[in-house]
Amino acid sequence: MLEIVDLTVAYGPVMALHGVSLTVADSSITAVLGANGAGKTTLVRTISGLVRPRSGSVRLDGRDITRLAPEEIARLGVAHVPQGQAVLAELTVDENLRLGGLWRRDPSGQRRALAEAYELFPPLASRRHLAAFSLSGGERQMLVIGRALVARSRVLLLDEPSLGLARLVLVQIMARIKTMVHERGLTVLLIEQNAKSALSVADQAMVLHLGKVVVQGGAHQLLSEEGLRHAYLGF
Amino acid sequence: MVTANLRLGRLVRPTLNRHLLLALGAAVVLVAISAQIGAYDDYNLTAVAIFAVAAAGLTLLTGLNGQLSLGHGALMAVGAYTASLLLKDHQLPVIVVLLLAVLTTGIVGIVFGYAAARLRGPYLAGATLTLAVALPQLATRYKSIFGGDAGLSVPPSAPPAWLGADFPPERWLAWIALAAAVVTMVLLANLLHSSVGRSFIAVRDNEVAAALAGIDVARTQVLAFVISASCAGLAGALFGYWSGVTAPAGFGLGLSLQLVTAIVIGGLGSLAGAVWGSIVLVFVPTLTSGMASSLNVPSSVANNLPLAIYGAILVIAMLAAPHGIQGALTRLLALARTRWGHSSASGKKGVMDWDDPAPNP
Amino acid sequence: MSRFLVLTVNGLTQGAIYAAMALALVLIWRATKVINFAQGAMAMFTTYLALFAIDHGAPYWLGFVVALLSGLVLGGIVERVIVRPVESAPPLNVVILTLGLLLFFEAVAPMLFGGQIRSFPPAFSIVGLHLGNSQVAFSPFDAFTLGSVLAVMILLLVLFQRTNLGLRMRASAFNPEVSRLLGIRVGRMLTLGWALASLVGALAGVLIAPTFLLYPTFMDQVLVYGFTGAVLGGLDSAMGAVIGGLLIGFALSYVGGYLGSDLETVGALVILIAVLMVRPRGLFSLQRLREV
Repeated sequence: MLEIVDLTVAYGPVMALHGVSLTVADSSITAVLGANGAGKTTLVRTISGLVRPRSGSVRLDGRDITRLAPEEIARLGVAHVPQGQAVLAELTVDENLRLGGLWRRDPSGQRRALAEAYELFPPLASRRHLAAFSLSGGERQMLVIGRALVARSRVLLLDEPSLGLARLVLVQIMARIKTMVHERGLTVLLIEQNAKSALSVADQAMVLHLGKVVVQGGAHQLLSEEGLRHAYLGF
Repeated sequence: MVTANLRLGRLVRPTLNRHLLLALGAAVVLVAISAQIGAYDDYNLTAVAIFAVAAAGLTLLTGLNGQLSLGHGALMAVGAYTASLLLKDHQLPVIVVLLLAVLTTGIVGIVFGYAAARLRGPYLAGATLTLAVALPQLATRYKSIFGGDAGLSVPPSAPPAWLGADFPPERWLAWIALAAAVVTMVLLANLLHSSVGRSFIAVRDNEVAAALAGIDVARTQVLAFVISASCAGLAGALFGYWSGVTAPAGFGLGLSLQLVTAIVIGGLGSLAGAVWGSIVLVFVPTLTSGMASSLNVPSSVANNLPLAIYGAILVIAMLAAPHGIQGALTRLLALARTRWGHSSASGKKGVMDWDDPAPNP
Repeated sequence: MSRFLVLTVNGLTQGAIYAAMALALVLIWRATKVINFAQGAMAMFTTYLALFAIDHGAPYWLGFVVALLSGLVLGGIVERVIVRPVESAPPLNVVILTLGLLLFFEAVAPMLFGGQIRSFPPAFSIVGLHLGNSQVAFSPFDAFTLGSVLAVMILLLVLFQRTNLGLRMRASAFNPEVSRLLGIRVGRMLTLGWALASLVGALAGVLIAPTFLLYPTFMDQVLVYGFTGAVLGGLDSAMGAVIGGLLIGFALSYVGGYLGSDLETVGALVILIAVLMVRPRGLFSLQRLREV
């Protein structure tokens, strides 16, 4: 369970997040929505430890991880997949995937996890020894999610995975994520600008505006209530 | 063109007046001081002025334009050798020698500046490093012209008759050096506040934006380099007069690094800081040698202590106080202002604002 | 042997040493985006430590090991203690920091070991080998120089390309932030990178000290030539650095042999400027690759 309690983050004089609170239950997908600059990426970067908050806390299964280094938080099972350049382009597909679970020092478990990832994403298997920069956008996204798989992360922080993806590919990936959530008890925080597709897979949703939470609740509810949708999501 | 000049004129003149006044005041004070102190102190005063001229040029290049040069010691050598060669067989007035040294080094600056105009960061640093190590080798190679390792001697400049027969030559040299320093400072200060100075800063901060704003980036880089090289040449020629001999050993990598130390101590981009840094450069060796002899420290330690101290200063400065003395003073001033409730703003910041983190979106 | 052949062989052995220095610089550049201008001075220091051991009765090979080990340790300490605090500062600050280290090491060495020029023993005989009836300008020590530099490069290649540790180091160098998010302790990888680079630098030091003689600034030239080689090859590419170093070795040997040894550094300068004017990022730069 991921708990964010009264998080306030500032960059110098600029307030990025004001007292944001959120609880993400295990085996669920929570969508974080909002316009550009609303603070979605800041939220995720604070959870994964890249940014220090001014006040507030982040708890993973009751443990306070607010001030841990990013690599330590990753080793606790939190996988943050950043926007854009998350793939290590110079390294091969296989090397990228292996990186996910290296710190576990469990070679046989690693091999199994790698095999699973290739099974789940066949296009990666056929490009195993190619450098990652030769992958298409959709394949890169598969790579970073596959990497989180290999890391056997329990919490997945996805920052705009739909960016630059064809709709069909996006649907496929979302379906895979939903499967992983059900099969492995994965917990997902999904940042999206494409609210519609996010809400179609999410269980819960939260809308950020200028660093503050404006709406929070069931995803289905947000999708079906026209008033809320129009006001906060523009459709 | 005409409108640009008019605008420039309106901007420059009041600043120019202010600078000239300051310069005049400084000159009077310095002349008065030099009249009171003895030959040894005049000698040191000259040294401070010499380093200040070189450091001012370098701080302009590195602080304002963002180009780090590790080769300004070699450029000083160009000025020094020009002076030596001119004076080898002829008697020339000091001002002529100095101007020709400036010209020669300026030309070298143009050549190197154009070659290096597209280089940034470590590439430029490396190219100037190679210059610093390579140029002294030319002196050893062409022994017949440059006198090889022993170098060339520089005859001292005799004080003019109208100052009186008893006028000490050290004080005369101090006056020359101080005059050169004052003139350099005024010219550079005006440059800083002109549109040229602003174009330097614009290119340092964001080349792409500067180019889009119509600034010729390559020309700006070359101009900054040439100006700083000319300052180094002037300082080098004065150095020749001051030390009496021009030899390659005196202009090695160590000298270039000492200049870097001076501008770091003073704060990059600050002309006043160039003076602070030069004072430190001149007085640390005297302090350490005094300390060493009274503590009976072996010569291998004593001779190397200044350089070890400079090295330590650079490291510690970068770790603790990247803005140098001038920056520290500016901050103290700002702190005082806020403490006494004058303004809530953070006060004037150093030329390079190294503290502000770039916010991650 | 013909003059050209002699110069070529000489260029090869010298080039190997410059290649090693270039490699050391590129290792650090790739990991931390810093040019360690103090690399030469650090290598000088470790060479002095080796000589200190030898002076006090240690056999040559123990001194050799002392140099390499102290290089490893020194590099790690310098990164962890001095460079780490400024790693996020503007690059200019870090450059000035390494320059300060350069000054410091070059000043402290004569304080500890005396400033007079010392000779340093070569690992093997420097007398040219005999091929049939004639003597060639290639000695056992030259063979050792080439061999040890080659061995180190192969070991590093294996480390980086075939081990998990090397994978983590490559990832950390390529994208430290993403690497952190993958649970990699990037800080330790950086320290290790500096330690290894310093080891390579230390090797260069003991290999060239017999020729250049040992005095506090003897590695300045090696740093300059190594840097020139690294820049020629493109700072991003370790392979480019090695090739660049070798090219510089050859070029300097020919310049020195045909035009006079005093002009070597001038030759290096001309080559450097000429190449950078045409390719400001070096001959083999991978810059374009990264911008994908």
